[in-house]
Amino acid sequence: METLAIALLAFFAAGWFVLAGADIGTGMLTPWLGRSDRERRLVLASFAPFFLGNEVWLVATAGVLIGCFPALEGELLSGRLLVLVALLTGWIVRDAGLWSRGRGPGPRWRAACDAAVTCGSWTVALSWGWLLAALLTGRPYAPATGPTAVLTALAVAALFAAHGLGFATLRLTGLPYERARRLVGRAGRPWQSFAFTAVLMAGLPLWAGTALPLAERAASPTTLGLLVPALLVVTPFLVAVQAWIWHTFRHRVTGPSYL
Amino acid sequence: MNQDVLDLARLQFALTAGGHFLFVALTLGLATVVAVLQTRATFSRKPLHARMVRFWGQLYVINYAVGIVTGLVMEFQFGMAWSGLTHEAGNILGASLAVETIVAFFVESTFLGLWIFGWNRLNRWAHLAAIWIVVLTAYVSAYWILVSNGFLNHPVGYGSEDGELVLDDPLAVLTNPSALLAFGHIVAGALLTAGFFMAGVSAYHLFRRSPEWEFFGRSLRIGVFLSAPALMVTAIFGGVQFAVLDTFQPMKSAVFSGKTAEIARVQAELTERFGPGDYVPSEAWTRGGALLMLISFALMMYLCFAGVILAAFKKAVFRFRLWHLVLMAAVPLPYIAMISGWVFRESGRQPWVVYGLLKTEDAVSDLSSGTMRLSLIVFTTVFFLLAVLNAWLLTRHARRGPVDSGLGHDERPSRGGDGKDGEGEDEAPDPADALPAPRY
Repeated sequence: METLAIALLAFFAAGWFVLAGADIGTGMLTPWLGRSDRERRLVLASFAPFFLGNEVWLVATAGVLIGCFPALEGELLSGRLLVLVALLTGWIVRDAGLWSRGRGPGPRWRAACDAAVTCGSWTVALSWGWLLAALLTGRPYAPATGPTAVLTALAVAALFAAHGLGFATLRLTGLPYERARRLVGRAGRPWQSFAFTAVLMAGLPLWAGTALPLAERAASPTTLGLLVPALLVVTPFLVAVQAWIWHTFRHRVTGPSYL
Repeated sequence: MNQDVLDLARLQFALTAGGHFLFVALTLGLATVVAVLQTRATFSRKPLHARMVRFWGQLYVINYAVGIVTGLVMEFQFGMAWSGLTHEAGNILGASLAVETIVAFFVESTFLGLWIFGWNRLNRWAHLAAIWIVVLTAYVSAYWILVSNGFLNHPVGYGSEDGELVLDDPLAVLTNPSALLAFGHIVAGALLTAGFFMAGVSAYHLFRRSPEWEFFGRSLRIGVFLSAPALMVTAIFGGVQFAVLDTFQPMKSAVFSGKTAEIARVQAELTERFGPGDYVPSEAWTRGGALLMLISFALMMYLCFAGVILAAFKKAVFRFRLWHLVLMAAVPLPYIAMISGWVFRESGRQPWVVYGLLKTEDAVSDLSSGTMRLSLIVFTTVFFLLAVLNAWLLTRHARRGPVDSGLGHDERPSRGGDGKDGEGEDEAPDPADALPAPRY
């Protein structure tokens, strides 16, 4: 049961990095990909139908953590309160910007919302880098400090951006597409770059997770015995629904969306 | 335990949970209304019905979108500020929170995305199914959260192993009366909030004599006729909760009635069971919360009675401007009742975080007061801004009325111009095809 619980945690964490990593990366690059108000709206439309479904993978990851490893969750999260405050604030600012962009008045409002999306996306990516730095250096219960932390945070943020860029070349059209394409370079078909960064993104949380004493700190057998099978039953359904969404919105974006 | 950290952590939890709760109240109720409206629109195919779905759906989406991020802070807060709670009671509390996030919240958000962005892409029955899945999973979500909260208020079905609580009887946890009663109370309260909200927004347009009189006349009636039964059901579940309070949490009951002798008796009894300590919750919060809840209930009851009678007369619906003003002013009432009822429920069980098992002071994380203060300031500021943003966006869209932009607006590119419908994008050449061959 502990092994299955760890597998579930790894699955949802890797899922978040691959899926939400794409829309966060694209969000980070919005000002470079879209120069005008309309172009930026197109860039946001490239991930609009997905981001709500993508971000809940992190909610699910936290759910598995609190359900299957409750005591560990408490120690991990309280030890890293500051990093999490940054992560959550970035996430909130980004979402508020995305949802409010098309609902408020005038071009200045929209520019402010675009800035919120960009800053929020950078904050989320950098916070993850900071969070992972501590795990990768083997001290999971305190925020990482020093040059290692800074370097890791920057490297992780760069990976997010590269992943988002690959996603953008797959989804965009027109001038924003040309810009994304120029940045990716001529490294074969666009999906190759996306597939490469996707593998790196999925590997990141798995590598970091090896620093955690997961097997020893799992919840009691009764709890796991009920929880893990229930989660295993619903997970294929969740994946199927997400696949359906990606299929429904598989075409490149040529016009604005609800956001 | 550092008293300062405890107070700050409690304040932060109260503000974030209370803030989140206000969003949930409207989201849960309005989603139900939108789903019912869309069912009617799907069958009738009338443009007026479809416009009602889009207008009320737009307000629902705004409220959901701003509210969802407040839920994130809640989820992470258990581990951040209350690691003692996840350490002691994690085997039970953690499991229900995990099921809530994955089985309910995950599905809800995924299908909501499909509903919002798939408006003109999905077949109309699939689109209708999407909103119903959103509504049902929202209810499942509320149920699981209340299973967690019910356990904190009235722990059942647990055993103890090496000082940690373990799950003993899952069925007892799932059918905990404290959870089920609260679930009925809150679902009805959410419908009540949505009813008052609809009536208030519609009243504004009728008061302004906007040209959309038919649209808002119907909406006002829906709001009023929804509020009355919802209020009754809320009151029944509330009444039953009061009745069982004597056995579940005798101290809260004693503090509420203000019986000094009874308080002293329960204090002595609890001291005998759990050792010396102060087991009397804050009288101001407990009684204040309950009284405010009861006063707003009474006001809403009069309004609902009068409303049901008035709404039966067309002339009153369209012309009775004083009533319109009252309905507009009454929009905050369900919110006040909701939040004060919650204050009563939560502050009345102090000093326990898990009643009779774990004290609040033993559940708080071992943090410095500076860290705690910083996170309190950040989250309070963010929540305040979100509440303002939500109120502003809701007001803005409510005032604009049903206009053809926003939710469900058909933005497919090839529409109209060349006479083709929707399929045009399939034939557009993929820009990546024009690339030069890769060089190796």
